[in-house]
Amino acid sequence: MGIAAKSARIDGRRQRSERTRQTIVEAYLALLRESPHIPTAAQIAERAGYSIRSIFERFPDLHALRVAATDHAFAIGNTLAVPRDVDADRSTRLRSQVETRAHTCERWLPLWRALNANQGDSIELKMRIRLGREMIMKRLELMYQPELSSLSDVDRKRTLITLEALTDFESWGRMRELYGLSFEQACALWIRVIDRLLPPTPRH
Amino acid sequence: MAASSRSAVIDGRRQRSERTRQHIIEAYLALLRDSSRVPTAAQIAERAGYSVRSLFERFPDLLALSLAAADFAFTQANAQAVIRNVSADRPTRIRTQVETRAGTCERWLPLWRALHANQHYSPELRQRLRAMREAIMRRLELMYRPELSALVEAERRRILIALEALTDFESWARMRSDHGLTIEDACAVWIRTIDSLLPPAPAVS
Repeated sequence: MGIAAKSARIDGRRQRSERTRQTIVEAYLALLRESPHIPTAAQIAERAGYSIRSIFERFPDLHALRVAATDHAFAIGNTLAVPRDVDADRSTRLRSQVETRAHTCERWLPLWRALNANQGDSIELKMRIRLGREMIMKRLELMYQPELSSLSDVDRKRTLITLEALTDFESWGRMRELYGLSFEQACALWIRVIDRLLPPTPRH
Repeated sequence: MAASSRSAVIDGRRQRSERTRQHIIEAYLALLRDSSRVPTAAQIAERAGYSVRSLFERFPDLLALSLAAADFAFTQANAQAVIRNVSADRPTRIRTQVETRAGTCERWLPLWRALHANQHYSPELRQRLRAMREAIMRRLELMYRPELSALVEAERRRILIALEALTDFESWARMRSDHGLTIEDACAVWIRTIDSLLPPAPAVS
């Protein structure tokens, strides 16, 4: 067999293995969306259509699968939550930030919960949770830059802490699950409250 | 043995059993405060100074123990979070509510996390978490009645949902751990936020 043909065969194997890995990650995420219980290896394997052995050939343990699923979710989450309307007027920025954040919460709340429930002593998962929160803070800073720029460092930090708490995944979860608000009603609540918490937009 | 002395023996046994139960609950709570991990039966029994068998003689499983701990904590937290300054001026009411809530968060966060993590395995646990949130809401309603009474029903509900989210256990935990705020600084953040969210209190004629 020529070198080129051997290399093509190895590439094909790698691609298939990568697809299998991806299917397993997606099966894990799909199970999390359907039930609050953390899925077992047997459930993930069944959903993905592979054997349990296939899972552990690609991931040394379920923790490694959780880490891979988190990285996959971060990559997709970043692609979907592109910053929009950064230079728009205040009400457009409010709506844009809230709707983007709401979609992220709606889509990724089950994974976020699993991540928090499983973090235990895992440095990798703790680091990813922290990274997730830092990204939320950075987005808030970006979207409300005009208003935040009028505040002192201490007040800016206080406002950001408050906005982050308000727009937390579990705050969204409670509005939707416990208080029975529709997606639109929950967005309207966040928009109103953020508008109240932000200082006036400086005039240029 | 006379009936009265037999009854005294039974009462003594019951009291001892009740004390053992209470020690086990307190050991469970102490372990939760020491570490973020949910303790095992062996760890709880060791901390309480009993055998694992004693533990399971009083609680059928660890879920039942966490339910009993939730009930104990709920009673304790209510006793500690005494309602004060309900009729005071706005800054006093805000400070009182925030400091009381902060004390509750500081003390009960580890148990709250353990209950939260296990809620999907028990409808009773979910019901208790719901009851705790309702108690938080009622306290907010009570402390900010003058301001909330000025709002229409839908707006009052929105403000209450926002206040509950902002003064959640995890919001407190993040201020203290992630952002490194002292209790005083964290209280100051909440006081400021609540003051900006609440409408002016209607002038009393």
